Amino acid sequence: MLGQLIVSGLAAGSLYALTAVAVVVVFRNTRTINLAQGDFAMMGAFLALIFIKSLGLSYLFALGLSVVCIMALGVLTERLVMRPIADSGWLTLFTATLGVYYILHGVSGWLWGRDTKAFPVTFDPTPIHFLGTVVSEGHLINMAWVTAIGVLLYSFFRYTKQGIAMRAVTDDPETAQLMGIPVRFIVMLTWAMAGFLGAFAGILAAPIIYVAPEMMDEVLIKGYVAAVFGGLYSIPGAILGAILIGVAENLAGGYLGAHFKTAIAFVMIVILLAFRPQGLIGIQKRREV
Amino acid sequence: MVESITTTAAPAPSGSRAAVATLKNTFQMQNWVLASLFFAACLVFPLLPFVEGWMVFQGAFIIIYIMAAQGVSILTGYTGLVTVGHGAFLAIGAYTAALLMKYTGLSVIPGMIAGGLVSALFGLALGLVFLRLAGAFMAIGTLGFAFFIGAIVNNVPIFEGRTGISLPPNTVFGFEIDDFGFYYVALVTLALTTLFVHSLIRSGVGRAFKALRDSDKAAESSGVNRLLYRTLAFSISAFITGVAGALNGLIVNYISAEVYGDIWYSVDLLVAAVVGGSAMLFGPFLGGFFVAMVPFYLEELADFAFILKGVALIAVLVLAPAGVAEVVARPVRAWRQRKLLEAGESPELADAPGPPTGGGS
Amino acid sequence: MTHLRCEGITVRFGGVMACDNVSIEVPEGKIVGLIGPNGAGKTTLFNVLSRFQEYESGHITYRDQNIDRKKPHEMIRLGMARTFQNLNLFGEQSTLDNILIGAHRHLGNPLANMFSLPGARRNEAALVDKALAVADMLHLNHQLDKPVKSLSYGWRKRVELARALAAEPEMILLDEPVAGCNDEAAAELEEIVRHVNRNLGVTMLLVEHDMSMVMKVCDYIYVINFGANLADGTPAEVRENADVIAAYLGEPTQ
Repeated sequence: MLGQLIVSGLAAGSLYALTAVAVVVVFRNTRTINLAQGDFAMMGAFLALIFIKSLGLSYLFALGLSVVCIMALGVLTERLVMRPIADSGWLTLFTATLGVYYILHGVSGWLWGRDTKAFPVTFDPTPIHFLGTVVSEGHLINMAWVTAIGVLLYSFFRYTKQGIAMRAVTDDPETAQLMGIPVRFIVMLTWAMAGFLGAFAGILAAPIIYVAPEMMDEVLIKGYVAAVFGGLYSIPGAILGAILIGVAENLAGGYLGAHFKTAIAFVMIVILLAFRPQGLIGIQKRREV
Repeated sequence: MVESITTTAAPAPSGSRAAVATLKNTFQMQNWVLASLFFAACLVFPLLPFVEGWMVFQGAFIIIYIMAAQGVSILTGYTGLVTVGHGAFLAIGAYTAALLMKYTGLSVIPGMIAGGLVSALFGLALGLVFLRLAGAFMAIGTLGFAFFIGAIVNNVPIFEGRTGISLPPNTVFGFEIDDFGFYYVALVTLALTTLFVHSLIRSGVGRAFKALRDSDKAAESSGVNRLLYRTLAFSISAFITGVAGALNGLIVNYISAEVYGDIWYSVDLLVAAVVGGSAMLFGPFLGGFFVAMVPFYLEELADFAFILKGVALIAVLVLAPAGVAEVVARPVRAWRQRKLLEAGESPELADAPGPPTGGGS
Repeated sequence: MTHLRCEGITVRFGGVMACDNVSIEVPEGKIVGLIGPNGAGKTTLFNVLSRFQEYESGHITYRDQNIDRKKPHEMIRLGMARTFQNLNLFGEQSTLDNILIGAHRHLGNPLANMFSLPGARRNEAALVDKALAVADMLHLNHQLDKPVKSLSYGWRKRVELARALAAEPEMILLDEPVAGCNDEAAAELEEIVRHVNRNLGVTMLLVEHDMSMVMKVCDYIYVINFGANLADGTPAEVRENADVIAAYLGEPTQ
């Protein structure tokens, strides 16, 4: 059973990781905590569902199209909501994303109803026996996707011109601007990335959870907590945090009872922040919030 | 031994300072009159001929939201801290009152006070953990707290999760009260909390809160103990919202995780504070009214309620970040400011500083 | 008698040494200046002395009491006030309210104050009197009800100083008190600084770039360069010091 719990934990953690990384990327580039990140995921899941059910598209095609749409949603959010208030304090920015959260919640309920829907399962539900534990194919597929995205992100930041530019903006936006880096474009790209990661998080989670307007609320809060593990600045820290949360909550759920599953993330964050207010992998130079 | 600056007698109020003081008193009187009229209108409201039972019920509901928003405003508007999880205190207040009522037969008023106190204790504890953190972490921490409380009430047996707790009818001083009675209890409580907030803002403690909000470094260098005052603000804020929470549960004689188990109350309260304006006394009145009435008018269209709140929030942030109350009050404030300056201004002396005076020599 | 002394203060930010084994001594009742080229570490030292900044090694003593462990808000109780280079004023609030916070240390019990108990009300009245007296001394009487952000830069500097004075401190750390002021405002502030020192006996430590002010006002000067002590002495001595001249001339034109 332990092995099974750990694998489920890793799988859950990989989904939290997608949300956590998106939160970190948006925060460190724009000082904004994106409260709407969960709903980007939710919209992604809904769109994919529509594409598959109503338009009869294949899973991969629906996935791809949905990701593109949510990336557009991210950019739209940036242009319509964030840009007019770009110079405001972080609390204003954060509250604005709360507004987006409300709007997306209402829109999805209005368009598609608030009842829970099932997402077509594309993997074989029969469990696989692997290294002495029982594992679901769905878990493995999700982890594979997230790993692939991780590699993609790493390459992006390391090797592409835009990725390097983005890191410059993260470190020192004024200097980056003086060096001719188009900061506005990078900000737009940041939000597109948030949409990208969000859509994947929603669509990969959808077969496991149901599809409904509130589906990602819990994942969102855990994504935040994971992001805090990385001091809201470090991507590896956020990923580590996400995996820790996933594993911890599954272990807690398995050994202590289902009641403790949700609470464990909060308990972890309180303990972390009480002893290391800058996160597990704190970064020395951090902008004052 | 340093000679105190005030060893010479405090300067006798010059003509202009006395005039300013008188004017300020006049403005205060005006405010009092306005507030009294408002509360008088609220008192009379249920007695008007066209008013029906459900309207009184809705009125009490609005009062509860206003009170809860007042709690939030103390923290966000006056002390400059974030709380995204204040609904947790609503829940704590509600459940405290409910459990006490169910198991010990406590009546409404002690129930409210108990709800407030337990909330304040949680606020104190939470504050000690989160108030040392940078704002972003505190936001996430408080949101996490709200989720945590939601998880607790959903899962821990004593709270009876989604089945909920049904309560005996409300009593005040031994008399059973109905919706009308409850409305008046809520109204009196609101009057008390408003008086308290009013007095708090004007006090030295309120000054310290505002100093921490505007520049915590300057506040600290002036001797304001940041952690102490922030914790105080958090506890007071939790108390008031806790009292509102107790009323919220008692008004329908029923508490369930269905209502308190998620984060919507928390973010709704933030919307109320921001849209109304969290740094003004009547801001929560506007914000609380708005958030309480939106679902009322859009009952069938709950989704549009969400959209409307989101749009209102963003619109306020872009167009009037200090809240609707600030916009409404702007002309009055400008006029009053002009009057104050006229009274205090003495044309010949306005621009001539000269050497410093006083304190010996 | 020494009012404030620090020895061997070292502060590192990442790889950068902001303060390198710095030691200064401020005698009671004197005005001591801290000068040095831009980026020399003066403001960091200030933040260290007012306890806003932690340091790796070194000690600070205030009147023979070690204050290494003190928190920023405890300094005023010891008698040390400070002003800020960037004028941390409460822009939206009135001048009077800005000055009032300076007197916070006399607030008494917060709970009594919150509920406006009679004793607290008397206390408040006394606080307001103190603030008005300071405002009177600095000729701010006619600016008291204006929001501080509407005042000119020179007046705002004055309010910042008034706030520090409202605490009736024994010592004030002045962070660039005349920076950005025109000649007239600078001269007035200079006059105020001298008055407060001579007639109220307040010890001062000031950081300044305006050399003429420093030379005129200070009894003693410390020169800091690259975070370390370079030289110290009376204004006349420092003016002639070859190292100091080299340090300043070696700088790109300012």
